[in-house]
Amino acid sequence: MPACVWCNRDIPQVVTLDQILSWGPFPVQEVCQACRERLTPITGSCCSRCGRQQRAATICHDCERWRDAVINRALFQYDAGFKAYMQQYKFQGDYALRVVVQATLARALQRATYDVLVPIPVDVATWQSRGFNQVTGWLTGQPFFQALEVVADHKERPQSAKTRAERLVTPQPFSLAPNACKVLQHQRVLLLDDVYTTGRTIRHAIDQINLSGAKAVTSLTLAR
Amino acid sequence: MDNDEQFFGRWVPSARPPLKPLVNREAIAQSRGAARCTRCGNWLTVTDQLPNGARYCRQCLQLGRLTTHHKLYTIPEPNQFPRMTESPLTWSGQLKPQQVVAATAVRKLAAAKKNQLLWAVTGAGKTEILYPALAWALQQGWRVAWASPRVDVCLELAPRLARAFAGVSQAVLHGKQEQPYTYRQLTICTTHQLLRFQAAFDWLIVDEVDAFPLTTSPMLQRAVKQAQKPSGSHIFLTATPGPHLQKLVAQRKIAVTYVPLRYHGYLLPQMMVHLSWQWRQHLLKGRLPGHLVRQLRGYQQIGQRFLLFVPHVADLAPIAAALAQAGVVGGVTVHAADPERTAKVQAMRDERCQFLVTTTILERGVTFPNVAVVILGGDEAVFSTAALVQIAGRAGRHAAHPRGEVTCYCQSQSRTIQQARAMIGHLNRQGRQQGGQ
Repeated sequence: MPACVWCNRDIPQVVTLDQILSWGPFPVQEVCQACRERLTPITGSCCSRCGRQQRAATICHDCERWRDAVINRALFQYDAGFKAYMQQYKFQGDYALRVVVQATLARALQRATYDVLVPIPVDVATWQSRGFNQVTGWLTGQPFFQALEVVADHKERPQSAKTRAERLVTPQPFSLAPNACKVLQHQRVLLLDDVYTTGRTIRHAIDQINLSGAKAVTSLTLAR
Repeated sequence: MDNDEQFFGRWVPSARPPLKPLVNREAIAQSRGAARCTRCGNWLTVTDQLPNGARYCRQCLQLGRLTTHHKLYTIPEPNQFPRMTESPLTWSGQLKPQQVVAATAVRKLAAAKKNQLLWAVTGAGKTEILYPALAWALQQGWRVAWASPRVDVCLELAPRLARAFAGVSQAVLHGKQEQPYTYRQLTICTTHQLLRFQAAFDWLIVDEVDAFPLTTSPMLQRAVKQAQKPSGSHIFLTATPGPHLQKLVAQRKIAVTYVPLRYHGYLLPQMMVHLSWQWRQHLLKGRLPGHLVRQLRGYQQIGQRFLLFVPHVADLAPIAAALAQAGVVGGVTVHAADPERTAKVQAMRDERCQFLVTTTILERGVTFPNVAVVILGGDEAVFSTAALVQIAGRAGRHAAHPRGEVTCYCQSQSRTIQQARAMIGHLNRQGRQQGGQ
């Protein structure tokens, strides 16, 4: 019996008549039902700018303060369940947990209209200590282009350890990769990041992509 | 020098290894394609690989990730503690006669460096029985750890030991701990934390050895073995040793000290069994067994508070509804993931609440002065023999109310119920010989 990657409990396998008659390999579940329910998807109406879950599709309080037209969509609510997931996946570095959200992200990317997918990069020191980029880890073979680079020694402490006011004054951490202008010229770019909290990081990234001559920039984050 | 202390008897993945003579080893040992974590002993699977090429152990991730890029360092335990001229025990309480007998036996076995088991019934005062032996061990300059599989036991124990051994500095280690590690003579920790230690402790006390997850985890059993010095010994504390430990006792491979009487000198209440046919099907229609309802109504009339144990969290809501229907009111339901769990248990302790309907989470570690215990569905798989004996041990824990009623409702007399009754009977026979009543 396969065990869930997240909670390590056995997953009861249910074989339906459909699966038997389809004459193919059985789909192997890697995450149990209970763990999948720990993450709350954003459904129904959300803020038309940042993608935050709310009752009406109006512009939320945070986005009114930004006074710009960033378009972001998010897949999950940033609640206790998602925090627990990020704690284990990103901060403890459990790379195997990437499969928990891969299927949802693949479906969302299929629906989205874009030409080039640009994941938010991690800096060299993080790459060495963590061993992976948490954003590209979620991709399952979708082509992407690392158009952004992190300016060396820009951060004294991680973004997640700061307050909102401190995060908002963060200087631009990204620069364009040498061949970015050539690739992104007149393209529709989709940025991909893990969590949209204040929107600071994603706006820094959008500013840089806009310099490259891209036609349109939208963004997708796992959580809001 | 201060930096070196954290390496004493411990494997530390460090970027700044000490200059002193020390031992190091790879965090992940690799040979012929197979890789094994040297901290927890887990074999890595092929998929436990990072994009930068390193392999990592998923099993002991909670203690900080180890990859093939890490090295672990240690310095053999030097026992650098101040010498004590007199006993460090500052506890002013008095041991009961049967506790004194057990305490002396434990101390003698510890001094002889024998591995031992303290088989003491629930509510026998295991912690206090260990005080004389612990005081003696600390006076010898031994490094001692008190480990438990459950973090709430550690949290409850630490202040008690701090009061009983006021002069001894202690370190408390568990997963939710914020403070950094400190080198101390007395360490109170969860069994998971023992994974970090290597031949560190002269005497290792393992509390609640039969509790989850220690019994089912080879990793933790290995941790217990490794944390103890080769020249050291260990003592297991439990009220309900599992079949493996009982076998060791029968084969005389482990010395055993029995404490069959509770601290107030009374026997354990024996579990009464009532067969109730198809209670689950009746519950679907919102009905509980008639005998159970009459019993609970009787408790309410005389103001007797009670605990009702049920097999699953999903059973709580229908049973609570059926109880309300039958006119048994004034209680609440509690389960493991309940956000108000501690508040509800406290309400029961403060007698603000007439009864609790709960699952096996309250099987050990909680004390209510005067409660009757009722188990519904005691033949189901979640109630192991150990769980049933522990649950029965919730009754009659207070000196003013040493007798309590324990009733078990079940579809059939399962083996676990028979074994639980046999274990209580076995301990009570021994208790009677020591003058219990």
